[in-house]
Amino acid sequence: MATVSERVKTVTARVLAMDPGQIKPEQNFAADLGAESIQSVELVAMFEEEFGIEMDEDAALSVQTVGGAVEFITRVCKEQGVDVEE
Amino acid sequence: MQLILFDGPAEKRAKFYPLALSRPIWELRCGITTLSEKLLAKAGVSEAACFVPEYMAGAYAQRTQWKVNDPAVLAGDDLLILNGRLKAAGVKFDRKGPSKVGLDEDGQCLWAWVRKADISRVKSGSFDDLLESAKAALPAEKCDWPTYNYPWDLVLENGDQITADCKAAGRSGIEGTVEQPGAIRGSAKDVYVAAGAVVHPMVVIDAEHGPVYLDQDVVVHPFTRIEGPCYVGRASVLLGTRCREGNTIGPVCRVGGEVEESIIQGHSNKYHDGFLGHAYVGEWVNLGALTTNSDLKNDYSDVTVLLDGRTPVDTGSTKVGSLIGDHTKTSIGVLFNTGAYVGAMALIMATGKVLPKWIPSFAWLLGGQVTKGFGKAQLYKTAKVAMSRRDCQWTDADESMWDAIYEMTAPARDIAIKKGRRAMLRK
Repeated sequence: MATVSERVKTVTARVLAMDPGQIKPEQNFAADLGAESIQSVELVAMFEEEFGIEMDEDAALSVQTVGGAVEFITRVCKEQGVDVEE
Repeated sequence: MQLILFDGPAEKRAKFYPLALSRPIWELRCGITTLSEKLLAKAGVSEAACFVPEYMAGAYAQRTQWKVNDPAVLAGDDLLILNGRLKAAGVKFDRKGPSKVGLDEDGQCLWAWVRKADISRVKSGSFDDLLESAKAALPAEKCDWPTYNYPWDLVLENGDQITADCKAAGRSGIEGTVEQPGAIRGSAKDVYVAAGAVVHPMVVIDAEHGPVYLDQDVVVHPFTRIEGPCYVGRASVLLGTRCREGNTIGPVCRVGGEVEESIIQGHSNKYHDGFLGHAYVGEWVNLGALTTNSDLKNDYSDVTVLLDGRTPVDTGSTKVGSLIGDHTKTSIGVLFNTGAYVGAMALIMATGKVLPKWIPSFAWLLGGQVTKGFGKAQLYKTAKVAMSRRDCQWTDADESMWDAIYEMTAPARDIAIKKGRRAMLRK
């Protein structure tokens, strides 16, 4: 099974039409990857679908970076009893 | 006599969603007044008491002088109890007659006349108790008084109701200002421009086929054409509008573009071009430039509406436009399907295509899919700003009511959100 980090990069790459290899944990979704506000909403929806979780929209949208998303999603998966590869 | 309006039962109220999510049905408009104003006039009283769903009682109490959900009103006088769905013109009761109740086809109470002397025969501890015990204790008859059953009933009757209401109001003439050059077609007797209203030059008021009533402080900008029957509410502004026949525009609206046989509740904006036809638009709605609704199918068949997101309801009419709930906002270029149900507190972005026929309340519709978007907190923030721009205040009671609506509408919205996520993934 791919790790949370790999899956987050894959989803991010698909939504933002990028090469997954270009995506780094320290990158900011908006400032570095150019995510528009609508794409941020789409990213949250796609992460929920990818991991089978429900995220609080305010908390999810406050996450700024790719690495932050990995940490946040890992925590939500644990809280919601979803097994993931860290 | 104490007039009491009540709003129920729940399954019949739901047929008036999304407009009745945030108000009693009797606050809806048809003609130049609300349904309650007509019921009060019919009963010959100036005020009523009322019973509304508990979740909206606090918010509604802020907007009315009436007693809301107060069982104390159920004692001490003759009681005329009317369901808010009743058409006032069909209400016929005998003030001197004995106590009795009127039941609809499902055996539910539509009205009751309870003489003071008979109040001891019914339970008056709560309103529900009173209705149930009145059914059991008092003579009952099948009610043949007509009712409104869906929001499009109001829209489809609106033109005729404006004509009837104008006749009843008996007002005519120019009390405001009509600047020249302009033109009034038809009989000037069918035009009323209230004090404080200003009609700019180059405006055509066409009363040939029905009356035109411009209420206090209305402003009509140049190149507007208003066809009667039409009512424009207090302090609303028409901006070069093609205001076709049969429109009711409530107070404090900004309306441009083309509007036909539609009702706008009040405090809503459709500033720019775009067509709105056979629609009912709630309060605090903003329709972005070029937002357009279809009100006629290409095959001229009856329009169906998905009130609950699943089951189509045949309207029996070939012309029905959008039902748009309070506080909903559209981006530029939104295209609504024929008979679209657009929930309250929704934020809708254009896709370049016609949008789904059913959009749940609190939806952020992005790329044609229902998403959680930025959540209800952001929607509340926008609502507060919109209201403050018109010197109105978003209160704790409003927020409590909308929180309850959010929960009530969550199951259907959650299904739509999941469906939207799967669709996005397939993209």
